[in-house]
Amino acid sequence: MGFMSASVALTRYRIVEEDIPSSLWAEVGERLKRNAFRDIDASVEERSFGWVSFANMLDPDFALCPPEKGGYLAFTLRLDTRRVSPAVMKKHVAIAMNEAMRTMREQGRKFLTKEQKAEIREQVELRLRARTLPVPACFDVVWDTHRQTVCIASVQPKLTELFEELFTHTFGLHLEPLTPYFLALQHLGPGRQSEVDNFEPTIFAMGGQ
Amino acid sequence: MDLERAQTVSLALGQEFLTWLWFASETSHGLFTARDGEVFSVTVEQKVSVQGGEGEARETAVCSGPMAELREARMGLVTGKKVNKAKLRVEKDEVSWQVLVDAASFTLQGLKTPKVSMTLEEGEDPDARILEKIYLMEKCTGYVDSVFARFLEIRFGADWPEETQRLRQWLRR
Repeated sequence: MGFMSASVALTRYRIVEEDIPSSLWAEVGERLKRNAFRDIDASVEERSFGWVSFANMLDPDFALCPPEKGGYLAFTLRLDTRRVSPAVMKKHVAIAMNEAMRTMREQGRKFLTKEQKAEIREQVELRLRARTLPVPACFDVVWDTHRQTVCIASVQPKLTELFEELFTHTFGLHLEPLTPYFLALQHLGPGRQSEVDNFEPTIFAMGGQ
Repeated sequence: MDLERAQTVSLALGQEFLTWLWFASETSHGLFTARDGEVFSVTVEQKVSVQGGEGEARETAVCSGPMAELREARMGLVTGKKVNKAKLRVEKDEVSWQVLVDAASFTLQGLKTPKVSMTLEEGEDPDARILEKIYLMEKCTGYVDSVFARFLEIRFGADWPEETQRLRQWLRR
């Protein structure tokens, strides 16, 4: 999902650390490159993820589009996933099992062990994965360096979790999601935390007290 | 910090906010004022989902349609449900935004900003349209945050019982 699309999904965060060392800003490009996306087209790996430049998913070196944009940092999380269709997998496992059973009978054995079946399945998966191209997905990220807020163009929990971990690993900073609870704490101040923690919903319906 | 508690409060607070927002926008012609005095409008339209109950008894009703009156969702509020997702139209002067807000997480879906021209004029900085889009998205989140801040002031202030009565009257309409 991209910020430049007509319709955008958005999860917002605040950076927890209040004193970000000023040396970090000069290291942003280098840190992004250290955790850049690594291509898996030529391998059989199931998944790969990392940073690429905002405008170009083929630019993990940030050569064409540096992340600095005015008071913002903009870059993209690219996640490639290689997934074999379950129906294709089922068919090729059946073919391999039949083949193995024929060989087994020729050798005078009566059954395949659990381990042998698992191994056949694993080999089929590897073989099919080698023939499947990974599907790329890109999720833009914008970091407001004045207000220290960050947002990513996704609302999928699995993806946002991956993003939070990679962000912390890359910059050594922690993200707090701007959910109603945390926004309320931010707005009301730490002195009123117990009021927020002990929040009890009001009953609006007829007859409610 | 108890993260589980934070999630429970987020859901309850977010649902109460969106329910209040529907009431507040309908009873104030959608007009809200930001802290800096800027006046803008927020209306609930086209899609509302209401939820009630707990665990396996949890029920959700979704109402949607381009010109929908969202009557079924209103009925849901009367029977004790609360808004858990609402599509908002935010307007300021001649420009407008549309966004679907999730109560529990405050994540935004289908955020449509005023159109940003994709063609670059000669000599124009290629970052200009990215910055324009960021500016427009921040304007929208800023307005929503500002309405949430207003809600918090009322919700955690002395006037909440009175506001609750007004909300109940609105439900009876």
